[in-house]
Amino acid sequence: MAPATVLVVLAMYLPVIYTVYLSFTTYGGLGSPEPAGLSNYVEMFADTAFLTAIGNTLVWVLGSLLVPVGIGLLVAYLSFGLRFAGWLRVPFLVPYALSGVAVGVVFSFVLQNDGALSQALAYLHLPGSETRWLQEAPLNTIVMILAASWQGIGVNALLFTVGLQSIPKEPLEAARVDGASGWRLFRHMVWPLLRPSTTIVVGLSIVNSLKTFDIVQAMTQGGPNRVSETLGVTMYRDTFVNSEYGLGSAVAVFLTIITVAASMLYLRRQLSIGEPKGATP
Amino acid sequence: MTGSRTSHLVRTILLAVLGLVWLLPIYLLVANAGKRQVDYDADALWAPGSLGGLSSNLTAVFTTTDVPSGLGVTVLYATVAPLIAVVLGATVGFAVIVLKLKHGFFWFFVVFCGTVFPLQLMVIPWFDVYARVDLFDTRSGMLLIYAIVATPFSAFVMRNFFSGIAESVFEAAVVDGANVGRIFTRIFLPMSTSALVVVFILQATWVWNDLLLSLILTQSPETRPVMPLLNALQSVEGGGPGFTVILTAALVVSIPTAILFMLTQRFFQRGLALGQY
Repeated sequence: MAPATVLVVLAMYLPVIYTVYLSFTTYGGLGSPEPAGLSNYVEMFADTAFLTAIGNTLVWVLGSLLVPVGIGLLVAYLSFGLRFAGWLRVPFLVPYALSGVAVGVVFSFVLQNDGALSQALAYLHLPGSETRWLQEAPLNTIVMILAASWQGIGVNALLFTVGLQSIPKEPLEAARVDGASGWRLFRHMVWPLLRPSTTIVVGLSIVNSLKTFDIVQAMTQGGPNRVSETLGVTMYRDTFVNSEYGLGSAVAVFLTIITVAASMLYLRRQLSIGEPKGATP
Repeated sequence: MTGSRTSHLVRTILLAVLGLVWLLPIYLLVANAGKRQVDYDADALWAPGSLGGLSSNLTAVFTTTDVPSGLGVTVLYATVAPLIAVVLGATVGFAVIVLKLKHGFFWFFVVFCGTVFPLQLMVIPWFDVYARVDLFDTRSGMLLIYAIVATPFSAFVMRNFFSGIAESVFEAAVVDGANVGRIFTRIFLPMSTSALVVVFILQATWVWNDLLLSLILTQSPETRPVMPLLNALQSVEGGGPGFTVILTAALVVSIPTAILFMLTQRFFQRGLALGQY
C-alpha cells in the first residue's frame, strides 16, 4: 500500500497544490513564477472566451443529461425483456469502441460543409443542406454534443439495463395485475425503483461532460474564434498554446471546483458500497 | 397476452431502426476509408468503397504517417501502465480490507480522491517538472504518469472486490504460517483474477484513447501515441480526398479497442457494475 499511496500523493496532490499556487502567479514557462495576486482570476472573468466556455460547458452538461441519458434509458427500457435484447443493443455499443478523437474524425467528415449529412438532407429534399454545421455557434456545440451522445449512449443503456435487471419482479407484476401499463407503469413503478442507476448515470454524465476536451479539440479546436470552447479546451489553450500558465491554472482551479461539487452527487454512494460487511452489524 | 406480443414486436422494430441509424456513421467511416484518393467523389460521400481502396489506404497509413510507430508505443503504454496500476491498486485494497491497517480507510480515501480531481488540475506541474528532470517526451515518463493516474480507480475496485472475500481465507493462511507477501501474491491475487482483468481492460482502454496527457507530455514520433497523431493528421490533411487516409487511420487505431471490447464483453459488463456501483 505504501508505494501506491506515496506515488499518488507525490504525483497528484503536490501538483494540485502547485497549480493552485500558480493560479496566483504570472508564469510563462521560463524563469520562475511571479506573484500576481488575484489578477489571473480578474483577467479570467473579464475574458469573453472564458465566459463563452462556461456557457458552452453548461450546454454540454445539459445536453449530456438530455440526450445520452434519455436515449440510453429509452434503449434499455425498450430492449428489456425482449428476445434479442442483447443483439438489439449491439449497434449502440459499437461506437463506444471508438475514442473521442476517432469520433471527432468521423463527425468532422460527416458534418463538413456539403459533407455526408448535407448530401443526405439534399437527397431527401429536407432543409438544412446549406448549413455550416461546425462553423456557427451555438450550432457547432450542439452537433458536437450529439456526436458525443452517439458514442456514449451504449454505456448508459448497459448501466440502465443492469439497473432494470436488479429491480424486484413482484411489485412490477402486482402493478401490471392492477392494470398499470405503458407510461404509467414506467412513471410510477420503474422510474422510482431505478433511482440508484439513475443517480450514477446522471452523476457520471455531469462530471464527464464538465471535463469535455477530446471531441472538441478533435473537431473544432474550440473555434472558430474560440466560440465552441469548453473549459477543458480553454485551459489547454491558455496554458499550452498561449503559454499563460497562471491563467490556465486559474481556469483549471475553476473547473475543478465545479467538478468536485458535482461529484459529491454520486461520490457518497460510490464509497458506501463495498464497505466491509462486518462494519454494519 | 396478444397485446404484450404486439408491444414486443413494436419495440423490436423501433430498436432495430434506431440501431440502423446508429450504424450510419460507422458505414460512412468504412465506406470512405475504402475509396482510393482518385475515386473519391466529394459529391457522392454515401457511395460504398471497395476492398482494394481500403488496402491502398491502409498502405498509405502505414507508409506515409507516424501511425505504425504510434501503434507500437501505444501498445506499450496501454499494457504496461495498467498492469502496474492494477498491482498497486490491489496492494491498497489488500492493506485496507485484509490487513485492516490502522487509518486504512483514511489512506484509501486519500488515494481514491485521485479519481475526483480533473487531470487539468495536475498537467501543468507535470509538464513543468517533466521538462526539468528530462522526463518530458520520454516513454518512461508516459508510463509513469499513466500508471499513477490509473492507480486510484484500481484501488477503488480492488477494495470493493476484497471486501467480498471471506476473512477466514486470510486467517486460515496465517494459521498455515504463510507471510503477508506470500498471502497477497499466492492467494489473493490469483483469487481476484476477474476483478484484475476488468480493471486492466478499463484502464488499457483509457490509456489507448487518451488525448490530453499525450498531447501535452509528448512531442516526437518515438513517444507519441496514436490519438494525438490521429488528431494531428486531421489538421495537416484537412478536408477533401485526404480524408480517406485520415478515416482509414481512425479505423486502424479503433480496431484494437474494438477487438478487446468484443473479446471481453462479459468482463466489461461486470466491470461497469464494479466500477460504477
